[in-house]
Formats: sequence, C-alpha cells, structure tokens
Amino acid sequence: MKLTENQIDSLYKFTRKHYVYFYDVQTELVDHLANDIEEIWEEKPNLTFEDARDTSFKKFGIFGFMDVIEAKQKQMNKRYWKILWRFFREWFTFPKVVTTVSIFVSLFVVLQIQYSEYILLGALFILVSFDLIKQTKSKKKHKKKEQKKEKIFLLESMIGDTRQGFSGFAFINIFNSINLVKVPFSTLGIYWLLLISFSITCVILLFYVTGYLIPQKAQELLEETYPEYKMVNNL
Amino acid sequence: MGNQKLYKGSLQTIILKLLETNDKMYGYEITQKVKELTKGELKITEGALYPALHKLEADGLLDVEIAKVGNRLRKYYKLTESGSKETANKLEEMQEFLKTMQHLVNPKLSLE
Repeated sequence: MKLTENQIDSLYKFTRKHYVYFYDVQTELVDHLANDIEEIWEEKPNLTFEDARDTSFKKFGIFGFMDVIEAKQKQMNKRYWKILWRFFREWFTFPKVVTTVSIFVSLFVVLQIQYSEYILLGALFILVSFDLIKQTKSKKKHKKKEQKKEKIFLLESMIGDTRQGFSGFAFINIFNSINLVKVPFSTLGIYWLLLISFSITCVILLFYVTGYLIPQKAQELLEETYPEYKMVNNL
Repeated sequence: MGNQKLYKGSLQTIILKLLETNDKMYGYEITQKVKELTKGELKITEGALYPALHKLEADGLLDVEIAKVGNRLRKYYKLTESGSKETANKLEEMQEFLKTMQHLVNPKLSLE
C-alpha cells in the first residue's frame, strides 16, 4: 500500500510539530517515515496510518528528530563558513584589494587624529542603526513567509537572519569594548594602530559580506546548495 | 541482535563502503541494505544514520541528488571523488583494526 498525497502532507506537518522547521530537513525525514510506514503496512496491513507513523517515529529514539536537526545545523554552519570565506577572500585579490587597502589606510590615518575614538564610535553607531533596521525588515519578511506557510530552507534562514553573528549586535559589543577601554587611540604605538586598523578593516568586510553580499546572492547560493530548490519553487 | 555498541564506531565506514558498491542510495535504503546484508544482526538506528550522513556530506565526502519518486521527494547520497579516496583509507584502517583485534582476542591464531 502506498501513501497518498494527503498523508505525505500530514507527515510534513508531523515533522514540523516535532520541531523540524526547515523544508530541506523535513523532506528527508518525510521520505524516510513514508518508506518505513509502507514497510510496516506490508507486515501489518490493518494498522492505521497514525499508528504506523508513530511506530516508525519511535525508532528515532527518545530524542526524536533532535539528533538529526543538530547534525544538519552543524553541517550548514560549516557550509556557511565556506561561503563566507569564499566571498571574504575576494577582497584580498585584485581588483577588490584596492578598496580593502583604502579602508585600511583611511582607518590608519583617522586613528592618529586626536579624539579618533569618538569619530570611530560615531561611525559605529550609524552602522549599528542601519543594520538593526535592515535586520528587523528581514525578520518581518521571514515571518510573513512562515505565516504563508511557504517552504523555508535552513541555509535561507541563516543567510537572512542569524548571519553567523555578524550583525548589529556584534557591533554593539565592539562599541562597548572601545567605550570601556578608554584609551585614546592617537597615543598608541604604530604597531597597535596597524593592528587595530587591520582588525577593523576585516570586521567591516565581514559585515559587508554577511549583511549585503551573501543575501544578494542568496538565490544562486541556495540553488547551488540544494538540488531541489528550483524544483520545489516551481511546483 | 549483537552488541550494537561494538558497531558504533564503524558506522561511517559502513556507509562509505555501501555507497562504493551501490553508486547512489537514500537513507532508508541504507538501513534496509545493512539489515539484509547482516541478516538482521546490525540495525542502524535512524537517530544515528542521518547525523552520520550529514557529517559526511559536510566533510565533502558525499554529494546529494534529489529525485521525485511517486508523490514525494527523495534525497540520494553518492560518493564524491575525495569520498572514494577516503573509503579506501577507512577500509584499510578497518582491516588493520580487525587484525589487531584478532591478535588480542585469539592469540593462538596469530602465531606465525
């Protein structure tokens, strides 16, 4: 006996109810449960769909789908870092390296001005505000998609929301640390200034890559990661 | 059913070996195949299989393919190039391990 379309849909709902929120993870589990239910029916054809489903789910152990979700999250984190690294690296090759060097040199020059820490704090404050607005918008979009019950892929949510922590909140932390240390940058030695300029350059690039470049390329990256992405969206 | 704990560390090797012989497989198929090959002696649990598959995929040893089968989507796994190389390594390691265990468990046989 084969599962009907409605039963497949109800399996998707079942995985959702058991904390599997992303379509890519759901799909694999639904196929697994469906195969197992069909196998169970061969031996016990009188079992109801719900009973067969629960029998199959029990085989996942007391933590249910948790282990699967966790492993998938880890795998995606790795993939996200790879993507991030790929984009980040580009800024150290020609022609983009020109921009990188310009940022670095400007920072280095500005840091030597008296009261440079206030200039830096001001710039950071503006950046944080912009980013928080952008993030709120992205979260709203995500929620709308969720309400419409559209399919959301794990990587899609990472690109839009979490961004591996490189968000406005990370900047607030930097803001606070600069504020707390209270060392006038202009009095620091040249090696310190070089190091600080380089670190801030990297942070700015990471922020730009995670917040703007990767989201812009989201469609392409999702198609590259998920062979089913195009198929599902055309259904 | 044997002691499942003893098999635990070999799960990745088992998956890689199966994919080496069968080209591409999906999760459920792997559990069934193992059951069939070991005559029910080894049952890979669902909670262990998928995490192992996802880890191998993250390490670049496996690639995925999606196909529509009947009214549902199915995710197939297959070896990448580095996956094939790693399979050879892992199988060699496994042979070594078996030999060492043989020496320990059954010293008489290993006297040459």
